[in-house]
Amino acid sequence: MFARIEVAMRPQFTDPAAQGFLRKVELAHPSLRQKVRWARSLDVYWLDLPAPREELIQAITSVFWDHVLQWLFTGNLIPSAAGKHGGMQDLFEAAPIRPGVFWALERRYRPGVTDNVGKTALEAFEIVLKRKLPEGRASSGSLLLLEGPELNEDLLAALARDVYCNELIETWTIVPCEELRKSDRFHQERIKRDLPKILVRGSGIVQEMDLEALDDAGLELLSRKRLLALSLVEMRAIRDYFRRPEVARKRKESGLGAPTDVELEIFAQTWSEHCKHKIFGAKVEYTESAESAGSFSIPSEINGLFKSTIVATTAELKKPWLLSVFDDNAGIVAFDDENAICIKVETHNSPSALDPYGGALTGIVGVNRDILGCGLGAKPIFNTDVFCVAPLDYSESLPERLFHPRRILDGVRRGVEHGGNKSGIPTVNGALVFDQRYLGKPLVYCGTGGIMPRVIAGRRCETKEIRPGDRVCMVGGRVGKDGIHGATFSSLALDDASPSSAVQLGDPITQKRMADFLLEARDLGLYRAITDNGAGGLSSSVGELARLSGEQGGARIDVSRAKTKYPGLKPYELVVSESQERMTLAVPKDNLKAFVELAERRSVEVSDLGEFTDTGRFEVLTGEKLVASLDLDFLHAGVPKLELQAEWKGRPSESLPSGPPPAPGGASKKFAETGASCLLELLGRPNISSKEWLIRQYDHEVQGTSVIKPLHTVLAGLAGASSGPNDAAVVKPRPDSEAGVAVGCGINPKLSDIDAYLMAQSAVDESIRNVLAVGAEYGRPESMLALVDNFCWPDPVGDPQKTAALVRACYGLRDAALSLSVPLISGKDSMKNDYRGSRQGNPVTISVPPTLLMTAIGKVPDIRHARTADFKTAGDVLYLVGGTQLGLVGSEFHSCYVVLPGKQRLAEPNWQEAVRIYSWLGGASGKEHNRLRSVHDISEGGLLVAVAESLIARGLGAFISVPADSDPWEFCFGEGYHSFVVSVPESDVSALETEWTVSDVPFRKIGAVITQERLDVSFEGGQKTWSIPTRQLRTVWEKGGYWE
Amino acid sequence: MNTQKPRALVVTGDGINCEAETAQGFRLSGFEPEIRHLNDLVVEQLTVDQLSSRYAVVALPGGFSYGDDLSSGKVLALKIQHQLGWEFSDYVSRGGLVIGICNGFQALVRLGIFGKDVSITNNAQGKFVNSWIRVTPWGDHCVWLKGVGTLELPIRHGEGRIVLAPERRAEVLGKMQRNGITCLRYEGNPNGSEERLAGLCDASGRIFGLMPHPEAFLRWTSHPEWTLQPGRASAPGQGLVIFENAYRECMNAR
Repeated sequence: MFARIEVAMRPQFTDPAAQGFLRKVELAHPSLRQKVRWARSLDVYWLDLPAPREELIQAITSVFWDHVLQWLFTGNLIPSAAGKHGGMQDLFEAAPIRPGVFWALERRYRPGVTDNVGKTALEAFEIVLKRKLPEGRASSGSLLLLEGPELNEDLLAALARDVYCNELIETWTIVPCEELRKSDRFHQERIKRDLPKILVRGSGIVQEMDLEALDDAGLELLSRKRLLALSLVEMRAIRDYFRRPEVARKRKESGLGAPTDVELEIFAQTWSEHCKHKIFGAKVEYTESAESAGSFSIPSEINGLFKSTIVATTAELKKPWLLSVFDDNAGIVAFDDENAICIKVETHNSPSALDPYGGALTGIVGVNRDILGCGLGAKPIFNTDVFCVAPLDYSESLPERLFHPRRILDGVRRGVEHGGNKSGIPTVNGALVFDQRYLGKPLVYCGTGGIMPRVIAGRRCETKEIRPGDRVCMVGGRVGKDGIHGATFSSLALDDASPSSAVQLGDPITQKRMADFLLEARDLGLYRAITDNGAGGLSSSVGELARLSGEQGGARIDVSRAKTKYPGLKPYELVVSESQERMTLAVPKDNLKAFVELAERRSVEVSDLGEFTDTGRFEVLTGEKLVASLDLDFLHAGVPKLELQAEWKGRPSESLPSGPPPAPGGASKKFAETGASCLLELLGRPNISSKEWLIRQYDHEVQGTSVIKPLHTVLAGLAGASSGPNDAAVVKPRPDSEAGVAVGCGINPKLSDIDAYLMAQSAVDESIRNVLAVGAEYGRPESMLALVDNFCWPDPVGDPQKTAALVRACYGLRDAALSLSVPLISGKDSMKNDYRGSRQGNPVTISVPPTLLMTAIGKVPDIRHARTADFKTAGDVLYLVGGTQLGLVGSEFHSCYVVLPGKQRLAEPNWQEAVRIYSWLGGASGKEHNRLRSVHDISEGGLLVAVAESLIARGLGAFISVPADSDPWEFCFGEGYHSFVVSVPESDVSALETEWTVSDVPFRKIGAVITQERLDVSFEGGQKTWSIPTRQLRTVWEKGGYWE
Repeated sequence: MNTQKPRALVVTGDGINCEAETAQGFRLSGFEPEIRHLNDLVVEQLTVDQLSSRYAVVALPGGFSYGDDLSSGKVLALKIQHQLGWEFSDYVSRGGLVIGICNGFQALVRLGIFGKDVSITNNAQGKFVNSWIRVTPWGDHCVWLKGVGTLELPIRHGEGRIVLAPERRAEVLGKMQRNGITCLRYEGNPNGSEERLAGLCDASGRIFGLMPHPEAFLRWTSHPEWTLQPGRASAPGQGLVIFENAYRECMNAR
């Protein structure tokens, strides 16, 4: 029978969902907020369960009703579960205004969108009814009651569109008050109608595409119409492939005619920028104006940036602890004799622009799968997340289809929260970067680290070996229409025609079950190779694994054997769908039974799709019928090489930061008058201020491995507890070892406006500084310290300047990594971060600033010597270590005030000096004696911001003396390279100074920690001083956070 | 004399995710922990007698069983009730001990272990929170908290607010207090819980559930402020005492 269940919190209890809604309305539409006097949220379920009425009533009661908290409105199915009047009237009576003017918005998922709650509800019924319900259906939604005499249908529609729903995945209807009082919506026929139905009729339908009949325009049109994202050159190459006599002959023999849509789609996925990285592989002609040539040289002809910079760097460094770099889902390094660590960072920008929650959620669970699918499979041990969005106070009109940055941030935050927390993986590190240009596309970086034994069931963990005859098994979620064309879509600019099918919601619990199962199966040696089903779906995962099978590679799969969410999918959809929570494995025939049995016991589904072969072909059947047969060699190596022009016009003569006008007040020449207010202004800037609001909504301690947390907290456990930022995280992944893993990041897109070469170097240096600050080891050949690069670029194709920025960033990255002797082990690039659309009818293009995120991972040999950033004891002496490479140009201060009062200096790295500093800090550095009470790197905001951040939590004070020979502005607010503020016990001062002198590490005594709770800054040779109470530093820093 | 280590059953599967550190807490305090998948236990269909002869302790660790869909711990509770069929009150009356941490506690609440007028719901602030708090035992009824003083532990939850049936609040609370059920309180109130309650035990004092995570503080280096006293880096964390109490209880019973 059918049932509609509405679950309402009883009025005595607060309703966080409704409160959250009102808060979002307040932020998005302050005037509308005035019109909503009261709100209440209900969960709604639509059920179709093959069970007799009495049994169902009992089951519904035990599944849905918590009598302490809730009322159930069931249209008289279970009258006792409702309130006094047996329905909505009881809620109306609880509203503060009587008689109120009530409305409701009902929200449902669009058919086919992942409905995790509905799925769990069905499982709960199976548990309670003690039988499988293959015909049963359960769908979840919600009902939002609103009260306000000034509300009307138009205003409700605005609320629904702008706050309550994402129309891409949800639908809404307005329910007037009279309807709510009636019980029509509980009628059997009505519920039947309301249950989402998915009617697709495409089973087995394959279309042939006669490419011969198409001229150039026709080829381009076909690519555009089918969202193949293939260029004319690529379309021609595909046509020419099918023209080859031997190809045509073989096709005829196997009964194939013109190219099928399945084949074209496989090409499109495999050759997409997202999968193939054509830009990074392109031949680039690079020129620069003579006057702007730097001291380093970039060749004028580059045959593939990726190979000649990133891969070459790692190859040149030849670290003995590298196990697998660049060719797996993640980079794998040796952690100790028994364990390997792997890491991957992904971007999920395009999906997050369309559906911030779903995009970020699938981003995080997607990168988790990269770890589960790297080598023989690793266990995720931490997540990282970095978001780049437009300023949250953006108040101009929004271009078509773009969301307000607040909505983006709310959604991605919640997505990573659900993705990380529900998967039991701690989110330990991240960053939040604001720039107006991220309005066009937010950048959402999700990273995961994992651990695995170096030898698993007798095989080295990094191996991926397949034998012809092994079964091709798809494991985990089912295939649906969701996520079709994700890879090709992310290879295009965001525009009005971006497809909704590219968006999906994740299901962390299906994935968690799969992850638990896979690690068990791995240790039992049940499979031979594993990879993630991500971009491109089966076409990519099977296509990639097929290369490893036997001599020539090959795979033959029957897509009609794939378990699907609903019937009717076309073969090409089955092949390219990026439906979530799926992995593809090579399972030896002899193990198949055991593998499937274990999966069943773990509630995980397996589709045995076919077998790996040695034919050199990727073959797809639907049932008996062959629908694709492609040469693996051509599929993987046939894409025509892109050619790009790059022209570097030099650094701008006047480096003006882009963005909003200077902060009020400004910075005058007089440090005495405005120095203090500048510090306070900087501390409250979104790029610098507290991220505690965000960090505390992520579980950063699950797995019990946390050593250095994202925040250092003073008076933990007490009401007056206060937190400040740490530079990086340390986790201790093995209970039986004192060794830890440090993970930190560096990102500095501001510098792209000056020179992407510096931008990249700055990101590398910052990421290394961060992990060294917390105690990572540096300098010995066996010191495991590695980098992951993530490029997010505005489309460089056809734009020589953007291409030049890319070239320069790659060389900056290379030069920094080589100089520091730190290899790159993994990475990802996203090259189409542009928006092309319109604002109020006018065409508008927004391109993100070239942005490189560097993630550093290092080994902390003994976590008992790990460090935090907070000053700890009054009387400790403060030093600036490094400090020679700091300048105001391109700093946060520069962005804030535009006109620089101090020296116009653009800092440049000095890598020889860096190596000396890092070898000291990452070497002995007095660790045994715990001489360094605190270490904090100098980044956004400069030295005084670093000092303030070290003070904020504990409520101590500090005295800082600006050296007489320094420009106070540059000394206090300059940003750059290789610099730290450290605090040292008085008793260790002479020993440390000797150490620094001997190792040629630049240092300066800059002050001391004091008991008085204030920051004193003295300058002009100590003649002048200003002072700010520590409490004020804290208030300003915390107030700058978003706290949503 | 029985020289074997007492066994602790640590349940996992369906989104539970703190099983490893929970097992480690038992291991460090002298138990032999066994992490077992719920579905394997369902297949095995252990009776309460078998359960108590095999395991001295049953632990329901933290996590997000069934994604917290339909409310936290709800479907896990249904699974324990309908598929495992374990009556924890019978199990503890045969000498067993039960602990539910965070999501495990939520499941115990849904099972009605602490009374049918007790429930647990969204934090008052409506958000997930990961933060360190202080808790103090209230009374001396709970076996797991014998001799325990104030503890600093992390909370990591979105639904940790303990509530009582509003129309019978005073009566219910009085009865719970008399029976020693209200056994653990926060200093401050991080989630709006009734009477600042952080944990509850059943009338026997042997079934204990709490929102904070003792298994996340087995060693001093997990404390957010440990770097202030680097000399204590190797010291045990405060959460361990809870597991040690269970061990002492098991050994005394032998």
